[in-house]
Amino acid sequence: MTRAPYRNILVYLDGSEESMTAAMYAILLASSSKARLHAVYVVNTKALGDLVRSRIFVDQERNEFLADLKKDASRHIRHAERLAASKDLQITTAALEGSPHKEILSYVKRNGIDLLVLGSVNAIRSRRDELTSENDRMLRTSPCPVVVVRDADDGIWSQFEEA
Amino acid sequence: MTFLEAIDKDLIKVPMTARSAQEAVEELVELYAAKHGLSSAEREKLVLLVMDRERLGSTAMENGIAIPHAKVEGLKAPAVMVGVSRLAIDFGGERPSTIFFLVLAPAENPTEHIQILSSIAKLCSSDLFVRMLSSSKTKDDAYQLFFD
Repeated sequence: MTRAPYRNILVYLDGSEESMTAAMYAILLASSSKARLHAVYVVNTKALGDLVRSRIFVDQERNEFLADLKKDASRHIRHAERLAASKDLQITTAALEGSPHKEILSYVKRNGIDLLVLGSVNAIRSRRDELTSENDRMLRTSPCPVVVVRDADDGIWSQFEEA
Repeated sequence: MTFLEAIDKDLIKVPMTARSAQEAVEELVELYAAKHGLSSAEREKLVLLVMDRERLGSTAMENGIAIPHAKVEGLKAPAVMVGVSRLAIDFGGERPSTIFFLVLAPAENPTEHIQILSSIAKLCSSDLFVRMLSSSKTKDDAYQLFFD
């Protein structure tokens, strides 16, 4: 039997429900293909800095949001670890800080990732480059194949529970 | 939800009629309240949250744009209200403001909140976009600008 064309899968967690569905899908992919699974959350400190510089955030607020984001990262990473454990799958997790698309691309290169799994990309298009989301940037610039997970009818949730 | 997904024609007001910072926040929160059928107590709570946040430091930027915002416990999805005023309103910054983006975001999802504010900040760093938004005459004009 031919081996799957990927050995190291990375799922990007951003705190959204879509990214948790992507984590489930990545766990199913890794389990069925014997690939190694990584899950990474990036605390967007780049955006926090930009918001303070443009006076939309005050320092106190930046610190509060930084604490909130770190808690969010821990919560989602723990959840991904529990999901993987429920399928007896080993998972490597990390909470990084910086600009999400840059950190993810750097992680892909450093860790020989050959499949990136994302929860969503912008459903609405704009020609304005300023409105490109982090996931869109990852999709456009990833050096490896990318899977965008869509789960309109909760099929992945059912599949995960049945697997 | 991204900034573009949160933009809603029903939540855009051109021109605004407010004459003060408090009135500007009330006018924009009213758009959200009308769309979601909020009670006057719920509406007042949102105004209070936004004004409390403004007291920490004005969100008025140097280019005449203000981005008041608040984290709201239990909010289902983020909302972005956009207002364009013909008259400049003192919003506590060095320059009065004529363009307002009021952002309400669920306290439970800080990433989404930051992504939306960050998109607005990037958008507003374009002088051309700001000029075009300032000169929009109707909410349809303003709405279309985000997608062109």
